[in-house]
Amino acid sequence: MKRKPGMVYSLSILIVALLLSAAPRRGVCADPPWRIEFDETCANTASAMDFSQAQLQTLITRCEKLQKAVEQLDESTRKVFLKRVLMCKNLYQFVLDTKKRAVEGAAQ
Amino acid sequence: MKKIAFVLCILLVGVSLGWASGMKKKKLQPYEYGSVSINSFSQQAGMPPVLFDHWSHRQYATCRLCHVDIGFGMTAGSTKIRAVDNMKGYYCGTCHNGKQSAVFKKKVFESCAKEYNRDEYKRCTICHVLERSSAREDDFERFAEKMPKDRLGNGINWEKAEAQGLVAPVDQLEGVSAVKQKLKVQPDFSLKAKVDGMPDIIFSHKKHTVWNGCEVCHPDIFVGIKKGATKYSMVEIFEGKYCGVCHDKVAFPQSDCTRCHSKQP
Repeated sequence: MKRKPGMVYSLSILIVALLLSAAPRRGVCADPPWRIEFDETCANTASAMDFSQAQLQTLITRCEKLQKAVEQLDESTRKVFLKRVLMCKNLYQFVLDTKKRAVEGAAQ
Repeated sequence: MKKIAFVLCILLVGVSLGWASGMKKKKLQPYEYGSVSINSFSQQAGMPPVLFDHWSHRQYATCRLCHVDIGFGMTAGSTKIRAVDNMKGYYCGTCHNGKQSAVFKKKVFESCAKEYNRDEYKRCTICHVLERSSAREDDFERFAEKMPKDRLGNGINWEKAEAQGLVAPVDQLEGVSAVKQKLKVQPDFSLKAKVDGMPDIIFSHKKHTVWNGCEVCHPDIFVGIKKGATKYSMVEIFEGKYCGVCHDKVAFPQSDCTRCHSKQP
């Protein structure tokens, strides 16, 4: 059976549309790298108490790099995300300090 | 007897603070409780200030969604919101964009525009108001009559309202919130009252984190995780610090002593 070129084209369009609709909506093509990094780094605030000191330090370092990237953005985006990055970094720093104090307290 | 002495002492401190600051605090009507006037740039742009009512928003969204993910500050004017920010889809414009909102579960009016005609100006005056309208009061009364009652504040017991399924505030917004792991709630703890005879405070992490997550309070408001690490007094709380950042402004007021001082002897 000979396939019509128009039919193949329509089928291709349909397959692409199905694949796109099945893909997760975020992080596929819309989000810039700084936003993906933000979502990954600041997704851990709810479980910050479960992290080790080394893991918290890594998250703080990632926040500091992210902060530099956010500072390059347009004013509105910078204002919103700088605050969000700082809130998230400050929480990690706060949990880290508390854990350090707890270890020092136990040692004394 | 000691409890009465403590309550009198608290009232005396409150009155003294009001006297010292040179003004008598007006008792707010239930519909006014939690209202914030935002005037960072409005008047410069020839618009009246924005009168924001917490009650009409907290039925839809948790404190955390707005004050962490959307980025609103905890004090009026601290966010420095500009119309252009809203137009780009930030702050109010996150939901108020003329589209179907996942938070409000309906199409919500657009917040700001660069240019507007006389008809469109009516939309501006939904938020930018010279004085409170009776329509807003009526909206509040209609909403409040369906809600569980509370003694003070805006007269609505929000905790019960959520428990009864009358409100279901959204905590995560796709495209705005970072997808978080489930919050592991820290245990409740008690704080010793400083006056003999006054019941100790039971602080519930569960009740607070369900709407606030961690970042709203730590470290900006409370710098100590370890119990007793942050030292504060009722005077400071009455001044709007610590618990007073929310309680007496939006959450139930501090004059409702037994809501916090609730430990049974």
